[in-house]
Amino acid sequence: MQLRIQQLLPSYFEQSRTQTSEIWGKELLFEKGELIKIVAPSGSGKSSLMNFLYGMRNDYNGTISYDEKTIRNLSLEELSRYRKDHLSIVFQDLRLFPEQTVQENLEIKRQLNPFHPVGKIKEMAERLGIGDKLGSTCSTCSYGEQQRIAIIRSLLQPFEFLLLDEPFSHLDDNNAELAMNLMLEEARLRNATIVFADLERIDFYPYTRLFHL
Amino acid sequence: MALSFKPIRPLLQTGTNAISRWLSYIGLGIGVLLLLCSIQMYINIQQMLKGGSIRKDGYDFISITKTVTNETMGQVEKNLFNAAEVAELKSKSFLEDVAPLEANQFQVELSAAGILPFRTNLFLETIDNSFLDTLPPGFQWVVGQTKIPIIVSSDFLEIFNVFGPSYNLPQVSQETASGIPVLITCSGDDDLEQTFQGQIVAFSDRINSVLVPKSFLDWANLTFKGKISEQSSRLYIKTKDANNPDLLNFLDQKQYKVNKDKTKFGRIKQVFQGIFSGLAVFGLLVVVLALMLFSFYLQLVIARSKESLRLLLMLGYSPGWLSKNVSKRFIPVYILIVCTALAFAQLMQWVFHHFVMYDRPELSTMVNWTVVLVAFLLALLSLITNYRLVKKLLYHLH
Repeated sequence: MQLRIQQLLPSYFEQSRTQTSEIWGKELLFEKGELIKIVAPSGSGKSSLMNFLYGMRNDYNGTISYDEKTIRNLSLEELSRYRKDHLSIVFQDLRLFPEQTVQENLEIKRQLNPFHPVGKIKEMAERLGIGDKLGSTCSTCSYGEQQRIAIIRSLLQPFEFLLLDEPFSHLDDNNAELAMNLMLEEARLRNATIVFADLERIDFYPYTRLFHL
Repeated sequence: MALSFKPIRPLLQTGTNAISRWLSYIGLGIGVLLLLCSIQMYINIQQMLKGGSIRKDGYDFISITKTVTNETMGQVEKNLFNAAEVAELKSKSFLEDVAPLEANQFQVELSAAGILPFRTNLFLETIDNSFLDTLPPGFQWVVGQTKIPIIVSSDFLEIFNVFGPSYNLPQVSQETASGIPVLITCSGDDDLEQTFQGQIVAFSDRINSVLVPKSFLDWANLTFKGKISEQSSRLYIKTKDANNPDLLNFLDQKQYKVNKDKTKFGRIKQVFQGIFSGLAVFGLLVVVLALMLFSFYLQLVIARSKESLRLLLMLGYSPGWLSKNVSKRFIPVYILIVCTALAFAQLMQWVFHHFVMYDRPELSTMVNWTVVLVAFLLALLSLITNYRLVKKLLYHLH
């Protein structure tokens, strides 16, 4: 699967942004297996870009297409199939079910299109240091714990593109590196592309291409 | 492994506003019960009144005439049926056939050939053979034949036997009457007169007249009066149901006079069918209201669970699958409501048949299959309405 971005610019951004950005207003093609790093300061449209790529918002000019299929033209049913089989995401604002347990939150995603058996949930949770939290409701977990839950959730399905929107904002370097390694392993397992947007560069992400938003 | 709705179920906040939900359930139950009972009563009336009139070979034969009013008195042609009116009647789907009763245009006198001191002016009529209830093989006539076969209304013999003794005439049986030769004297213009020998070949329970073969009457009208009548004052209609409201409405509208006794069940049926149709419409309205109330409840559930549902869609859950499963939650309760209403309708039918109608054979203790079908369709309608509503709401969430 390929991701093609053509002349993309949020409709609420001025055209002048295209002159300074390496993404807005450009023509880009992301191939399978690439590790993309997008560095962007606050307010430069990082979350907007991730939302556009995931088909959650359409308030932009230009086109985004996966394998020549324009994401804007997909029906809600088609979009849900893409999200189930080809695209995975870690939202900046995490978006968990606060009243469900950690296990339930993860199982809701896993059962949709199981890439791993149920046992893998515990294994991943233990690896990221939240193995003892599986029975707790998400609302009682700290931000850092919730962020790790959101990361594990994104890895329980098949995907060809993994979109990361500031996935480590609440994690210390040690935990962030553990989580990154897990994501890299899982991406390699699927020969998938990672599109990683963050405020700054991080040392433990071996990106193949770097863009400044 | 199939996708399970179990982990999703707690995300729907269905427990809130239970009063609205219960009201809609009760409303739906009452509406469905009202509708089913109305349909069943409608069918009961149809079945009870089906055999309400004299039927032969599965058909009703009724005589109709035009009402003679003060305005039309003396204007014979206004009280006769013309060819166009007969054609109009024939075109109606509720009538199987129509036949005019043609009458003699000349004068007829009947005497009992000296056997009985009996002499009277008479009328002769003829009708299409297919309208006769008894048609003996000898009921035909060819020019030159002096013997005329006659079919007489059995009522006439009855009347004769009532007034006969007071005139010192003997009462006669049908067999004897058939054996008595009568003389029929036809006279017309130009003092033309001819006497025929008449013989009663059959008695009719259906047609109140003295009937002769059509070939004879046509010949006699032409011979004695010089014309064949194209109009007639009486028509016989052949219908599968003399109580058909469409037929009665048509006859009323045209102001045609009909035997009230034969159609009185139809009049009652019209009234009852009106009442139960009204009740059925009312029941349907209650069902619609209950469905609307339930749709408000569903909208509330979706609104309260909005964030969870939106997140499910973001995670890749299909809106179609979600709608199907959210609506599926209400299948058992909807089926229970409709089945309960059906059980009550069945109970009502049993009470009606057993205690009100004392097990009349034309009625059934079981509800009609149409009622079961309507109940099934209502349950289906409710589920489809819910599914479509949830799907629409989910699409709006995105």
